[in-house]
Amino acid sequence: MSTVVQAEILDAGEGPIEGEPSRWARAWRPVEDWLIALVDRANPILVKETRQALKSRQFVITFLVVLVACWIVSFIGIAWIGPEIYWAAAGPTLLKGYYVVLAIPLALIVPFSAFRSLAAEQEEQTYELLSITTLSSRKIITGKLASAAVQMVVYLCAVSPCIAFTFLLRGVDAMTISVVLAGMVLGSMGLSMISLLIGAMARLRGTQVVTSVILILGLALACVGGIALGWMIIQSGSGFMREEEFWIVISVMLTFYITFFGLFHSAAAAQIAFVSENRSTPLRRWMMVQQACFCGWMAAGIYYELSSTSGNGANNIGEALVAATVFATGYWAVMGALLTGEWPLLSRRVQRSLPQSTLGRTTLSLFNPGPGTGYLFAASNLTMLIAVGLILLVFRGPATGRFVTTESIACLLVLSWSYVVGYLGVGRLITVLLRRWIFVPLTAAFLVQILLVMVGSFTPLVIQMTSRQLRNQGYSLLQISNPFWTLYELVNRGSSSVQAEVLVWIVPAAAVAVLLLNMRSVATELMHHRVAPPVRVLEEEAALHVPVVKPSNPWEIEEDDH
Amino acid sequence: MVAVHQQRRPLIELRHLHRYFGPTKAVYDMSFEVYAGEVFGYIGPNGAGKTTSMRILATLDEPTYGDALVDGFSVVDDPDRVRRRLGFMPDYFGTYQNMNVVEYLDFFARAYGLHSMQRRSAIDYAMEFTLLDQLADKPINGLSKGMKQRLSLGRTMIHDPAVLILDEPAAGLDPRARIELREMIGRLAENGKTVLISSHILTELAEMCHRVGIIERGHLLAVGTVEEISSRTQTRSEVRLRVLRDVEGLMNYLRQRDDVRDVAVRQGHVTMTHDGGPEEQAALLRQIVDSGFEVVEFASKAKSLEDVFMTVTAGLVQ
Ligand SMILES: Nc1ncnc2c1ncn2[C@@H]1O[C@H](COP(=O)(O)OP(=O)(O)OP(=O)(O)O)[C@@H](O)[C@H]1O
Ligand SMILES: [Mg+2]
Repeated sequence: MSTVVQAEILDAGEGPIEGEPSRWARAWRPVEDWLIALVDRANPILVKETRQALKSRQFVITFLVVLVACWIVSFIGIAWIGPEIYWAAAGPTLLKGYYVVLAIPLALIVPFSAFRSLAAEQEEQTYELLSITTLSSRKIITGKLASAAVQMVVYLCAVSPCIAFTFLLRGVDAMTISVVLAGMVLGSMGLSMISLLIGAMARLRGTQVVTSVILILGLALACVGGIALGWMIIQSGSGFMREEEFWIVISVMLTFYITFFGLFHSAAAAQIAFVSENRSTPLRRWMMVQQACFCGWMAAGIYYELSSTSGNGANNIGEALVAATVFATGYWAVMGALLTGEWPLLSRRVQRSLPQSTLGRTTLSLFNPGPGTGYLFAASNLTMLIAVGLILLVFRGPATGRFVTTESIACLLVLSWSYVVGYLGVGRLITVLLRRWIFVPLTAAFLVQILLVMVGSFTPLVIQMTSRQLRNQGYSLLQISNPFWTLYELVNRGSSSVQAEVLVWIVPAAAVAVLLLNMRSVATELMHHRVAPPVRVLEEEAALHVPVVKPSNPWEIEEDDH
Repeated sequence: MVAVHQQRRPLIELRHLHRYFGPTKAVYDMSFEVYAGEVFGYIGPNGAGKTTSMRILATLDEPTYGDALVDGFSVVDDPDRVRRRLGFMPDYFGTYQNMNVVEYLDFFARAYGLHSMQRRSAIDYAMEFTLLDQLADKPINGLSKGMKQRLSLGRTMIHDPAVLILDEPAAGLDPRARIELREMIGRLAENGKTVLISSHILTELAEMCHRVGIIERGHLLAVGTVEEISSRTQTRSEVRLRVLRDVEGLMNYLRQRDDVRDVAVRQGHVTMTHDGGPEEQAALLRQIVDSGFEVVEFASKAKSLEDVFMTVTAGLVQ
């Protein structure tokens, strides 16, 4: 027993207090109990990694290096500024220095060690031991994230006195400092999440080195970008933060940050979850949330634009619609390409939790795992967005854009929808066909989709480039299967330059045909019924949840009391 | 009645388990059951498929066909329920940097959802059981092979699982540690645990297992108690006998029989190879005596467990 207590670094505080406890001791006691309970219930991985970090030489060294770097920045900074320090606003100069000192551990070391800690679990084969515990894959990812957060806080604490010092030097206000620091914290957590997702995906030993190198390069780039952005904010001060637009932009970015964070978290957990687990539905829920946020912000943006430019009628809604369409199309193309690659067979475990009621089956079946429902999910979400866009166009009438005509926006909406639905559908059919003979994992199916789009785009391009007559002609209907050039041409040169009157008939018709071709197999997927769990499971459930006999009315309790 | 029923409840059940790695059929149509409180030995040469099938049971891998059940729960459909009642000790030791023995056990106890006092007593019990008390503060990177094996066993039993799956726990242990390990497994069985334990060596397991299964190339060749298997495999044995007189007549008599070969005289004894198990041998002796020969000595060399193993397995590797 004694050895256990000794080693429980964080659980310390056992043993009765001799004699009469002082008032402080008595007041402290509940806090202590609460702390013990907190550590006791904390994520196991967080506890483990904090203990490990406290003992790890690498962590102590980086921590000291950060401290020393802060001193060096302080000394060099003060020497550089010279005697002016007594009257000039030297805050920004020093803050920039500290920002760099903090950015390197936060944007490089913390995310990379999160990646490494997941990869090391797999290399040391501890991951298997961990995965057969009752810890869920979500909790594993959360634990790794929490450890990254703790590390981050430690680095922040090391640098915080210096940052307080810059505040005293004047020239930066608390607002700027808070915004810059908050950005850093969010950036660091976001990068850690992405690194964890990559770590969870890079299961193969051979790819580890390549992945590490690419990740380090990416993180370094993000670090440099972050430093540039931070310096810009420090330089310009908090003046622009008083503008309404700044906070709107921040809110928009925050919604995307949070929803992507959630999506990546689910994706990382799905990567390491057991095969029979339902790994698709949580991801689709996050996509739905993103879709809702996107719609919300678009609506708010258009309302804002309309209310601010009511005078002459000219506004940026057309351009905004084009940008939104491009974004939404790209988003659902990528997500659709991933969703259509899912494995078609549902595990019995998944089949047990399928929606059962008529209402559930009609509304929630699209959330069931499977490539067919995935295709329909992506297609219907995109359809919804495009429909909203078209409705907006119709109700706002002509001349909504400064550079684009209503007609070309309408064409853009219809064509983007058709291209995404068409290509995803064809890609899915190819995958279905391939799966008759060979094993096609999700990544391969995703590659099939990318290859398909590339073939569709580059084949006509190459034909045109190699043909003597067509070479200098610019866009022609030959490029009908090339979505990039077609849509680019449409937006930049207007609908007449791409013979839109032809395109808007052929392409959507083809897309609808592909959609219908897919429908048979999609329908079979939608027909999946819930299967009853095995008797053994029901038995255990019944044994675990013995129904508590609750008093049916408030008077029963009184009767019991008497 | 209830008790009997409880005892015969299979805690581990393989149902036509198949696992292919490309062309390699690591496990092929394997079915057997292990009952509550039983120690089941799992024996086979290198590459037989022991680790593969154990990993499937431990929810680390999934079968190509078939299913495996732990306490009635499918490892494919209900891995979470299986994990709660199963401890797996793999043939490797997963190590962490900057960690000592207690912290290691504490981590896994937390990972299995044990809290406060429950966790402390589980750690204490595991350390006491595996004789690790003295090593509590030792960094796990500095542990010897034997200590690691013990710690690994401690980790396996930290959440008090009903089923323990041990993959070659005795590999690399010195004789003393082997005996200690055997005692630990004996105690686990006494506590009502169901243990599936693998090894290359039948003799090693013969003493501690209630039943064994012999596998090779993914096929289950024999299941049963060691005695059952060895008597079943005793299809041919060396028999030696001595008669008072008429050695020539005996030899002629024996040569006429179909089930006897290689009859010879060595140092006054008649030796031969006899096809058949113990029952057939008794019949042979009776017939010899009935035919009027005065037998004073009859001995058959029983096969050692090694021989049994060699007979059952064909020494094939895939
Ligand atoms: N991940 C894998 N990929 C490909 N083949 C595998 C894999 N795991 C096991 N095998 C093959 O399956 C067969 C059974 O291997 P397994 O490890 O189960 O044997 P074993 O009985 O545990 O052997 P040993 O006594 O050497 O531990 C071997 O032929 C092996 O090559
Ligand atoms: Mg093995």
